[in-house]
Parts: sequence; C-alpha cells; structure tokens
Amino acid sequence: MSGKDFTEHILHYRNIFIYLLIGTALTVGASYMDFNVSNSIAGAVFVGLTIATVKGYLVAANFMHLNSEKKLIHWILLLTVFFLGLLLLIPLLWDINLISNY
Amino acid sequence: MEIPYNVELREDTGLYNSKLGIWLFLASEVMLFGGLFSAYILLRTGAPVWPPIGEHGSITHLLTETIPHATFNTVILILSSVTMVMAWMSLRMKDLGKFKLYLGTTIVCAIIFLVVKYFEYSHKIHEGFVPSHDTYMALYFTLTGLHGVHILGGIVVLAYFFGPGLKMWDVEPQRFTNRIEIVGLYWHFVDLVWIFLFPTLYLLN
Amino acid sequence: MSDSHHEESFWRKYIFSTDHKVIGIQYGVTALLFLFFGFSLMMVMRWQLAFPDTAVPFVGGLIKWLADLNGFASDGNLPADLYNAFGAMHGTIMIFLGVVPLVVGAFGNYLVPLQIGAVDMAFPKLNMSSYWVYFIGGVIMFASFFLPGGAANSGWTSYPPLSDIATTGQTYWLLGMVFLITSSLLGSINIIVTIVQLRAPGLTWMRLPFFIWSQFVTSFLLVLAFPPLEAAGIFQLMDRVFHTSFFLPTGLVVGGEILNVSGGGSPLLWQHLFWFLAHPEVYVLILPGMGIIAEILTNNTRKPIWGYKSLVYSSAFLGFMSFLVWAHHMFLTGMGQGMSVFFQTTTMIISVPSVIILSCFMLSLWGGSIRFNTPMLFALGWIPMFGIGGLTGLPLGLSTPDIHLHDTYYVIGHFHYVVAPGTIFAIFAGIYYWFPKITGKMLNETMGKIHFYTSFIFMNGIFWPMFIQGLAGVSRRLADGGTSYAHAQDVLNWNAVMSYSAWLLALAQIPFIINLILTLKKEREANPDPNPWKATTIEWTDTTSPPLGHGNFEKVPTAHRGPYEYSVPGEDSDFTPQSQN
Repeated sequence: MSGKDFTEHILHYRNIFIYLLIGTALTVGASYMDFNVSNSIAGAVFVGLTIATVKGYLVAANFMHLNSEKKLIHWILLLTVFFLGLLLLIPLLWDINLISNY
Repeated sequence: MEIPYNVELREDTGLYNSKLGIWLFLASEVMLFGGLFSAYILLRTGAPVWPPIGEHGSITHLLTETIPHATFNTVILILSSVTMVMAWMSLRMKDLGKFKLYLGTTIVCAIIFLVVKYFEYSHKIHEGFVPSHDTYMALYFTLTGLHGVHILGGIVVLAYFFGPGLKMWDVEPQRFTNRIEIVGLYWHFVDLVWIFLFPTLYLLN
Repeated sequence: MSDSHHEESFWRKYIFSTDHKVIGIQYGVTALLFLFFGFSLMMVMRWQLAFPDTAVPFVGGLIKWLADLNGFASDGNLPADLYNAFGAMHGTIMIFLGVVPLVVGAFGNYLVPLQIGAVDMAFPKLNMSSYWVYFIGGVIMFASFFLPGGAANSGWTSYPPLSDIATTGQTYWLLGMVFLITSSLLGSINIIVTIVQLRAPGLTWMRLPFFIWSQFVTSFLLVLAFPPLEAAGIFQLMDRVFHTSFFLPTGLVVGGEILNVSGGGSPLLWQHLFWFLAHPEVYVLILPGMGIIAEILTNNTRKPIWGYKSLVYSSAFLGFMSFLVWAHHMFLTGMGQGMSVFFQTTTMIISVPSVIILSCFMLSLWGGSIRFNTPMLFALGWIPMFGIGGLTGLPLGLSTPDIHLHDTYYVIGHFHYVVAPGTIFAIFAGIYYWFPKITGKMLNETMGKIHFYTSFIFMNGIFWPMFIQGLAGVSRRLADGGTSYAHAQDVLNWNAVMSYSAWLLALAQIPFIINLILTLKKEREANPDPNPWKATTIEWTDTTSPPLGHGNFEKVPTAHRGPYEYSVPGEDSDFTPQSQN
C-alpha cells in the first residue's frame, strides 16, 4: 500500500466518522420530536431504528470492510441475517394469535 | 507440520483461517443479541405502558437525565472504532509508533465508556431502579450489562496486543497485522451493537 | 509445531494436548462415561416406575444417602422430588453431555481432519479449550446433584415459571449450560473453518465424504441456533439471581400467595427461545449419525452410495428447515390457528429430506454384496429404528392429533427411537468401524454381534411399549408411572416390561465393555493393516493405523476422485482410494 492510498483511506474513515456523528445527532434530535402517528411512538421508533440501521451499515461496510469482503463471508452473514429476522419475528406470533382467536 | 492458511490466503476462499473464524463467531453473536432484542420487542409490546411503572414509579425522568451521558458514550465508542481501524491501517503502513498511539486511544476510549457506564448504573441503583424493579430495568441491565462484558473482554484482548502480544510484530508482522484486523472486527461489532442499543434503550421510550 | 520430534511431557501429550486425535479421544471417553451415568439414572427411575415406592435393589443405600443430602425422605426408594431431578438430569446429560460431545466432539474432532487430509484442526488451542470448557460444564452439572434440594428438577426443557422458582440446582444447570453452549460454539466454529480452509488439494465440495457434509451442516446449526438459548439462559439466570421477571407474569400465585416480583414477563418467551435451539438440536444429534451410517453402509455394500448429491442437498435443506419448525413443540400453548397451520406445514416439509436420506440408504443396499460385520449390523439396525422414530413423529407434527398425544409417553417413545436406537446405534457402529483406525486393533466380532443383537431387542423392548402407553393417554414425568390414574390401569403392566428391558440393555453392554478392555490390552500386531475394511476415504488410505502423532500424514494427500468409488468396472480391486491417481 502506497502513502497516497493511505491518505485516501484516512480521509475516507474521517468522512465515515463525521457521518456517524451526524447520525447520532439526528437520532437524539429525532427522539425529542413528536411524529404523532395515531398517538403512539411508532413513528419515532421507525425513524430511530432507520437511522440506527444506516449507522450500523456504515460501520459494517467500512470499518469492518464488508463492502470489499469475500463472497463466502457475505453468504454466511446472509444466512445469519435471515435467521435473525426469524428470531425477531417471534413476538409477532402473539399478535397473529389474537387475529385468529375469533 | 504447520497448519496452512494461518497467515497466507487460501486460493479458493480468499481468506485466512481466523478471518473466517471471527466472522462465524460474530454470526453467533448476532444470534445472541438477536435473542435479547427479540425478548425486548416481546416484553415491550406486551406491556401496557413503557417503561412500566413499578415500586418507585416510572424511570422516564431519570432516562431523560441520562441521554447526554449515553450520547457521549455513543460518540466515544464510535471514536474508538475509528482509532481501531486506524491502528490496523498504521500496521499495514508498517508504522509501529502510530499503531501504538491509535491502539492506546482505543483502549482509553473503552475505559472511559465503562467509567461513564459505572456512574450511570450506580445513579439508577441509588434511586431504587434495580433490575427487579420492572421489565424495562431488567432488560436495561441485562442488555447493557452483556454489552459491557463484551467491552471488558475487548479491553483485555486489546491490552494484550498493546503489551506482551506486540512481540509477534518483530517475528511475524503479517500474522500480527491479521490478528489486529480480527480483534478490530470484534471491536467494530461491539460498537455496532451499541448503535442499536442506544436508541432502543435510551431514546425511544 | 515445526519440530514434532521433541519429547512432550505427559501433561502436554495426554491432558492438555492440542492434537485433534487426543482431544477427540478425551471427548469420547468423557462423553461415554456421562452416557453411562445418564443411563444409570434412568435405570433407577425405571425401578420406581415398575415398582412404585419400593426400595431400589443394589443402590438403595446410595439413593437414601443422596435423598438425605438433598433433604428428601427416603427408605431406599426413589422419592418423587429425586425422580424429577433424575428425569431432568437424564435428558440434559444424555443430550448435552453425552450424545452431542460424542458425535461432534469425538467423531467430528477425530475424523474431520483425517478425512479431509488436514494436519490438524484449524485452531488447535481453541480445540483444547473447548474440551476443557465442556469438562467444566460437566463438573458443574454433576456437582448439582449434591446440593440441598438436589439437581435441576424442572425437566430438561426447564420451562418457567416452575424453573424460575425451583431449588438452587436450577442455577447450577443454567451455569453448566452456559459452559456447554460456549464449548459447542467454539468447537463448531473450529470444524467449519477446518472443512472450508484445510481440505486437501483436489478435495472439492462434491468429493467430500458424506460424513464431512453432515458435520458441516451440524456445525452451522450449532453456531446459529445455540446463541438464542444462551440468551434465554442469561434471562433465566437474571430471574433467579437478581429476581427480575423476564419469564414471570404479573400476579403469579405460588403456594397460595402472590409471588413478590414485578411481573410483566412471559413464560412463553422461554419456550420460544428454547425451542429455537432445541429443534435444530434434534438434527445436531441425528445428522452426524447419518454421516457415520453413510460411510459404513457404502463400505460394506461395496458399491457407491445411492444418490450422493441428493444426500448432500437434503442434509443442507434439513439444516435450513430445522430453524422454521420450532413452534410445533408448542401447539398446546394457546397458539392461534394461523401459526399452527404454518408450523405444521413446515413440519411436513422437513420430513421430506429425512425420507430422501433414508430412501437413499435403503436403495444403497440394493444389489450390493453385503458384508454383515458388527458395524454394518448396527448400521442396518439403525435404518428401521430411525424410520420408526421419524414416522411416529408425523402425528405429533399435526396440531390435531398432538392435542391427544402431547406430553404423553408417545412423545417419549418417538424421540427416543430417533436418539436412542437412532443416534446411539450410529455411535456404536462408528466405534466398531473406526476403532481399528484409532488403535490399530480390531474389536472382537463375536462379542460385537452379541452386543448388537441383544441391544437391538432390548432397545425395542424399552421404547415400543411407550407408544402403547402414550396412545392410552399416560402422561410423561409421572413419578408413579401412572399408577394413580384410572385411564392408565390397562397399560400399567407394560411398565415392568420396559423396566426389565432397560436393565437387560445394561447387561447387553457388558460384552461391549469387555470387548473394549480386552482389545485395548491386547498386543498390537507388528504392522497392523491400516485399511482393514478396504475403504476408499483418505483417513484409511493415506496414513497408518493409529495415525501419526502431530501432523497425521507423511505427505499431504491429494484427492483425485469422489469418496465412494467401490467396484468400479475395469479396476483391479473393488475399491479405488480417493487419493489414487
């Protein structure tokens, strides 16, 4: 790796750092706002988690350099994310219960 | 006989052994925290009010007070992630001095995080908001506690590479660089988990 | 490890060894001892079931001593509290300390590097530590028997709220499980990395022996399914130690009084997280067994396995689907129709790959010149036993019959056919088959055959009557075996049949133990045949028996063909080694 590449990398990481700070500020700011979706905080949850997902993506793609990682790693993570989704759906089972309880 | 692909990359996968190993470990960590978040969603959607009201009332007012601390901690952890990746870059540039500077900063950031956490914990416990107070407090202490244990483990490993582990650099620089990449991946993951814990536990109540 | 010639100390060589072969044997010996211990617990329980509240012969004094220690009243009989603890620990020990460490820890560790032509596992030190973490977990579980209140007694499933308010043994159980889970995670990461990274040159994915595929899928199941149980275990520890209410609902009444906790939790949360692991766990138990059976069947029919690719794809699909069926254990929890339909559909789908695998095995027998040696007998016995276990599972997977069969002895019969004659026959087959590889000495065939036929008869004697009792509606986990229930009276006489079968099954293991001891003591021949079964895979053809110490191979083998080239037309011998050019 040449010195020029190195400087480029540093600039890149600095930018990501700035984006993450902006993201943090946005999350905190958003939490004080009232999105007023039918009198619940669903709107705030949606906005907060969307920002968190973007931040998480920035960390995973750049600091964990997933954007240039090997295919095998991507496949393993895809499988993991699928099962993670399944795991997070567990609470949904209760709601579906209510629907079919008539 | 030496175990192959410890340092060099295997042709068909393009990976060295511990790179694949750490990603599998992180995959299992994703499922571990997935189970924790799943419980959070379940208990929260099942509760009539959130955070629930217990013996000492609701924690809401205390949480508003803690937001600045938690935001500070978020920034500290993101910073430590940046310095971690810089430490690895410095090794790839063969600049040991800078590596030590960046790795040292990472460790200091991690310790600051835990100190802030300690004050946060003791304040809550002092006000009577112990884990058994309500399900929010139970989740709060379990999730941040487990995350804190990960930070603590990270500090131990990072300190090892700052101290005795550094010897490897003189003998097998490439292998040492790989090790820093591996521990870096772990560290970024811990940061990533916090990025999700921060809004779910502190902000969205 | 560059100089492998220096003398290693006893400790480094046998206790804290990093050699995968030594670690595999450590796993094997420890797990076999636990398997025997878990079986002994069951033998005592079977006395209580056959002859309720009478003193247990031979070990009555020991039972009385243990009951006194735990604070239960006993005159040498097995009190109900102790029965509950024995039942919970029988399940835990057999699964987490016996079978999984045997099929993954012992067989996986010993054979994976040898079969893929690798010098060792990818991370030898991690391998050593996963054994010792397992060992600590085992010690904690064992120690819990001697606590006041006894070992964990809420069943191996540890359902809250009962487990949340149970005696201290439950806390030990959770701590032990955290160690066992950690050990399994480390071990399975090691196996995956070894298979992906250390395959010998030329050994492409479709040239891997089926055993390797089964270990690969199993390890993925362990990596992705175990952590949610670890999360659940942490929650239950928090509930027990810090009195949180993850699994305790508001207003829970215990002993006539409302429990003094904050409430707001959900007992069903545990069941979901538990079965999210525990269903894939079933495949963790059976898949490596299938791998062992495939190796032995193809070797002793002297023809290629029928449908190698179907086997590989089926096992991968089986692994994937096993994450989508967990709630079929929970049909009776008040789950709505929508979810029931979803989970019974996925359950019916998952039976398809299992049937494909079983069919491939049976078709492999067609037209083979079968050698009826001991490993082959166990493999042949495995096929119908696993078949019965699998087929009896279908009614349980449909929510309507499950209403009648849930938590009866039918369930016990079903899953024991899968894991007791199923997995354990595969383990025995594997031990007889690879023993000459490990020691360079063949086990005695006559004693082996006695072991097989007697075990086969008595296994069925234990588990077949369970279906009869279960269909009559006898519940599991009854300390009196159903004596106090009117509807159980007609089938109570089966209790003694099952119990005698269990004790005779114990006697049937004596030829096996004698066989092991005598063969181990026997002098090894000067130059033992490294390939007594005339097998094709690398572990038989490219290294001595027993294999070289650190390093396994004189020179790294290269694979030139698939794993099961038996009776290839035009070849001189009826087997063509994978490494033959």
